[in-house]
Amino acid sequence: MKNYDKILKDLTPRKFNKLGIIWTSLLIVVIIAGLIAYIDQLIKGQVVTNMRDYALWGIYISNFVFFVATSFVGTVIVAFLRLTHKGWRTPLVRIAEIISLACIIMAGITIMIDMARPDRLLNLFIHARLQSPITWDVIIIPTYIVLSFLLLYFPLLPDLAILKKYYKETKPKLSKWYGTFALNWTGSKVQKAIQTKSIKTIAYLIIPVGFILQTVDAWLFSTTYRVGWSSTNMGAYFISGAFVAGVGALITVVYVIRRTYKLEDYITYLHFDKMGRLLVLACLIYLYFNINEYLIPAFLADKEEESHLRLLFFGKYAPLFWFVIIGGLIVPIIVLTFKKGRKPLPMFIMALLVVLGSWWKRYLIVTPTLLHPFLPIQGVPESWRQYFPSLHEWLITGATLAMALLIITMLFRYLPIIPIQRTADENELLKTDKNTES
Amino acid sequence: MNSRLLLFVIISAFIFNIGSPDLYAQKAKKNKARLNVQYVKIMDGEIYFDIKASARIKKKTVKISGIEINIFNELEDERIDLGKTVTDMDGESRFVLKSLNEIKPDSSNTYNIVVSFKGNESFKKAKKSISFKDAIIEAKIITKDSVNYISAILTDTETKNPIVDESLTVQVQRLFKPLRIGEEFNNTDEDGTIMVPVEEGIPGIDGNLTFEVVLNESDDFGTVKAMVTGSIGVPIVDESTFDQRTMWSPRNKTPVFLLIFPNLLIIGIWGFIVYLILNLFKLSKS
Repeated sequence: MKNYDKILKDLTPRKFNKLGIIWTSLLIVVIIAGLIAYIDQLIKGQVVTNMRDYALWGIYISNFVFFVATSFVGTVIVAFLRLTHKGWRTPLVRIAEIISLACIIMAGITIMIDMARPDRLLNLFIHARLQSPITWDVIIIPTYIVLSFLLLYFPLLPDLAILKKYYKETKPKLSKWYGTFALNWTGSKVQKAIQTKSIKTIAYLIIPVGFILQTVDAWLFSTTYRVGWSSTNMGAYFISGAFVAGVGALITVVYVIRRTYKLEDYITYLHFDKMGRLLVLACLIYLYFNINEYLIPAFLADKEEESHLRLLFFGKYAPLFWFVIIGGLIVPIIVLTFKKGRKPLPMFIMALLVVLGSWWKRYLIVTPTLLHPFLPIQGVPESWRQYFPSLHEWLITGATLAMALLIITMLFRYLPIIPIQRTADENELLKTDKNTES
Repeated sequence: MNSRLLLFVIISAFIFNIGSPDLYAQKAKKNKARLNVQYVKIMDGEIYFDIKASARIKKKTVKISGIEINIFNELEDERIDLGKTVTDMDGESRFVLKSLNEIKPDSSNTYNIVVSFKGNESFKKAKKSISFKDAIIEAKIITKDSVNYISAILTDTETKNPIVDESLTVQVQRLFKPLRIGEEFNNTDEDGTIMVPVEEGIPGIDGNLTFEVVLNESDDFGTVKAMVTGSIGVPIVDESTFDQRTMWSPRNKTPVFLLIFPNLLIIGIWGFIVYLILNLFKLSKS
């Protein structure tokens, strides 16, 4: 049982140490480089990218799909574990909520980056056709952003009130800010009832919305009659892939946070063990859908499918493809099946592999298909038949990833990483009503 | 002396050669222009001359665009200026007559038309003449023993005599190119008549088919075309979904189910979101 003061001391936001400052500065530098590249793209147009008539979707879209997939962690960890009353979720939920919010915000921004004329963004709403999956995407992404924000915000209220009180003497200005966002939280019965009801509503709501988000994302591809995309498996395939990407990202961040903020007392081996099991389950499901996705077209050996699969299995995408399948799925499954593999460091390495595999997996979903059109375009330069991102694309994509990490870093800087009130409640340290939701 | 003479010859040759036209390479050789003209008469319609201008340059036929062509009606002792026309990008031009009364025939009732090009800096002048007599085609659809036929009579306008043993083409108007029906050659008999059976099952809008009977580029009469329309085709069933609510329609024709269910879903989800935001207000007030 932990002392309340120790909990407060351990879990209240802390200033960046030297490493934190270097890390944040590095992210800002990457973002600035990306911003310069983006301004250049705005001025010169998308000719600065390597996207042409064949590969009209490139790294921006694969990065967008990665962000959407990773944002699924909010649905998986927070909602599922909350509704199934898994007590071990407490130190992980806020991290998951923050990753989820940062990723879905960046997904929205990334899709705007892919638009050659972002000033025409409003046209997506004004001239929306409900028949188009792009319209469904335009609707569901803001919805998921709002829900992810609410999922983070409602459980934060008691902690914001605690922080207001905690910083009242030492940092009155900061205390005032926390007070404003705490919405006069006193922990009264009425407030707790409203909060509990609201969190439960979000938990129920975010599951179908999360599923819709991933499915719509999949339908962006599967509703186009293209090799490698035209598949009824796509919706479930994307949901399971998002499950993998989300849990992988969570484990990676949890490991770094635990080490940086020395939270070993709160995020224990038990949590890694549970997350490891969850990741194995996610990877197994995703592997099953991958087998479905590649085995049946290979069995049917349709001419176009065959050439597409040959490119993936033995062609120039083969190293990447096998890295994604073996490195990003099979190796983590094997390692994490063993108890020793579910210790923090091996877990971190495996999760990092999973995240890298997840990112490249989206690249493999988007690009090779585009290079296999049913009607080859005549009289185009040979370079248009190939695609590899340009420097502008790498810089801009790097900046979006850095931006997501910066949002996560800044939220960790000013918010309690682990719910204070809930942790205290679990340790029966506060003489308030129990079962505060978090 | 001999050397002086040699020097004189060289200098003279040099001086006289300066003025030689062979030295002016920039004075380009003009190409020969070729004109082609065809007389076309549409029965109960317009009469026109289709003119094409071309040239052979480096063993390739090149269309001559943008040149002015004059059209004349030539009589024994007179040349009547009918007007002028300019060739288009394809080197083609159409000169339309309001009626055949605008031109006059010679004593043998033959119409003589001359098209001429004055020439320019690139092409030499050229002209082409054609002669033709006036003929008419009377076409109709008849039905014998439940079979539809296109019947046509070709007559010389001047003599009112049927024109015998001329080949007529019978075709149905289609969207891109006419569809020929009947034999390859449908020669007129001693009455100047042809009879071509119409196959069953030719589709047409509301079952209407327009047939063309054509005397094609005859040496004596030029091209004469008669058209006849009859409701003897198979009506085309309009399978267009243009006016329907489909997945591929514009936004004002969105399928009803797609208007109802997604909107219900959106309203439902956002209803909960509004409820949650209201809860935030409630929290701050409680």
